[in-house]
Amino acid sequence: MAIIQVEHLNKTFKVQRKDPWLGGAVKALFLPKYEDKVAVDGISFSIDTGEIVGYIGVNGAGKSTTIKMLTGILVPSGGSVRVLERDPHRDRVANAREIGVVFGQRTQLWWDLAFIESLSLVAKIYQVPQARYKQLLDQFAETLELKELLNVPIRNMSLGQKMRAELAATLIHEPRVVYLDEPTIGLDLIVKERIREFIKEQNRTKSTTVVLTTHDLGDIEELCKRVIIIDTGKLIYDGPIETIKDRFGKYREITFETLSTPGHVDLPSGAEIILAEPRKISVRFDRTAVTASGVAAALMNQLEVKDFSLSEPDLASIIRQIYNGALNEEQAA
Amino acid sequence: MIQSLRRDFSIYRAIAAMAAKTRLAYNMWVWADFVVTFVSMIVFVYFWRAVYANTATLSGLALSQTITYILLARLLSPLVETRTIFFFGFMIRQGQIAVELTRPLDMQVRIMVETLAELMVFLIQQLPLFFIAWLFFGMQLPRDPVLWAAFFISLALGQGVIFLFDWMFACLAFYVTETWGLSVVRVAAGSFFSGAIVPLVMMPGWLQNLAAGLPFAQAMAVPVSFLSGISTAADAPHIWLIQITWLLVLLVLSRIVFGIAVRKVTVQGG
Repeated sequence: MAIIQVEHLNKTFKVQRKDPWLGGAVKALFLPKYEDKVAVDGISFSIDTGEIVGYIGVNGAGKSTTIKMLTGILVPSGGSVRVLERDPHRDRVANAREIGVVFGQRTQLWWDLAFIESLSLVAKIYQVPQARYKQLLDQFAETLELKELLNVPIRNMSLGQKMRAELAATLIHEPRVVYLDEPTIGLDLIVKERIREFIKEQNRTKSTTVVLTTHDLGDIEELCKRVIIIDTGKLIYDGPIETIKDRFGKYREITFETLSTPGHVDLPSGAEIILAEPRKISVRFDRTAVTASGVAAALMNQLEVKDFSLSEPDLASIIRQIYNGALNEEQAA
Repeated sequence: MIQSLRRDFSIYRAIAAMAAKTRLAYNMWVWADFVVTFVSMIVFVYFWRAVYANTATLSGLALSQTITYILLARLLSPLVETRTIFFFGFMIRQGQIAVELTRPLDMQVRIMVETLAELMVFLIQQLPLFFIAWLFFGMQLPRDPVLWAAFFISLALGQGVIFLFDWMFACLAFYVTETWGLSVVRVAAGSFFSGAIVPLVMMPGWLQNLAAGLPFAQAMAVPVSFLSGISTAADAPHIWLIQITWLLVLLVLSRIVFGIAVRKVTVQGG
């Protein structure tokens, strides 16, 4: 059953255009000039109960704007949004009772209060029965390792602690839909792991629907079966993560630091040199044709290697490839 | 209906308790406030004694009445300062408005409950200063419980009035984003026209009319007038009626204005 239904969604902002310097500021005071900025441009998708969907795109692609329309705090300029069979903006308060939102850089907790006090107030606001609250608190304290944090005020927490606290507060009323806007931004690997575990567990045990925006490919690979990719406000991909990985994650790069200047090197087929500098050489290879160790072994036989590193393709490059590919396909058709 | 009222009541009671606790988290504020108020009481008492050096009454007020009035005004003056404007400024600059709008509560009711709870704590914290003013500075308080009741009811109504006015005024923050100037204007106008510096009856007629047309006096001069012998118990019903009228009008206006301001954020993204 579709729990989130988005059709031809549009959002256009009117932004004031100011000429630079003081003169521009004064002019803008008397003759403000506006221009339209399209943030979300005709996006449609639907999400079923219990899905975890990665909603990805580079900075400024329109991710947060979409999330804000889904939560009901922004009004669409066109198209429609239905969440749990409601218009999230018109029924903002009713909608708010059944959803949970984490905005990565902000907090819904009270800065000066001990975390446990904030959490119990949130539970009170969402009418969580006392017994259920106790039960969930125990569970969350376990999975998110919150025990030592319960009496710490939010203002004294580290970034990772704050995010764990935030997640607990967001899920304490067992919302049916959760929007996570960059929940792992700036966190170390261990905390990221813990947070992913927690999200997975909530999804598995309660069929919580999760919409996740992130720049972290690890988040997506671990959590999402499906991704929606947007670029400059347009939907450019909606489908399984596997397809993306097969199609665009096919290539890997290895960079070698060498002790001597590399001359001619023989590489196994499926690998090619993309950069050769004194004491540095980068090789791109097709994962389906040759292994990383095959490439590394071939090079190490021919050169004295000081160090080497393997890099995963990053999100921005994948998006660029999809975008270019999509355009090419359209031209071909 | 009753059930939902009871539910809301329990939520807002929890929020009030939280606001009180938050206020108490800042011990330094309490002490700083204590010292500032204490010093300002000394300054104001000596100032008014000097003014009365060659006269027995001023605009119908005897020295003891003026001293009582001004001490009460000093003690309560933080009540006509504003927290709403700062809060709006913070919310809009930091984008925290997004979080506030995703809470399943009426934002205005919630902030009002928080503000009034903080004021309650503040009044209790001022009690030692009340005793100092009474023991050492010659503040003369009435014994009649009716006057005290009139004072507290009028104070509560007046605080509601000023909160709603501030709510409306603070909505300007949605348009100017810079709230420092707004709060300076608001605090200056508030302390002068509320009668926190000079008793309103001493002002020239046109200024008194202006003050009566602004809501600030409702939160300060009007309630304090019961304790300083300016208003009598018989005046109470009339005064309350005026305050309730203010309250209702501002309630309607502030909700309309806030609705428009929020639409700006929800349409324009702030």
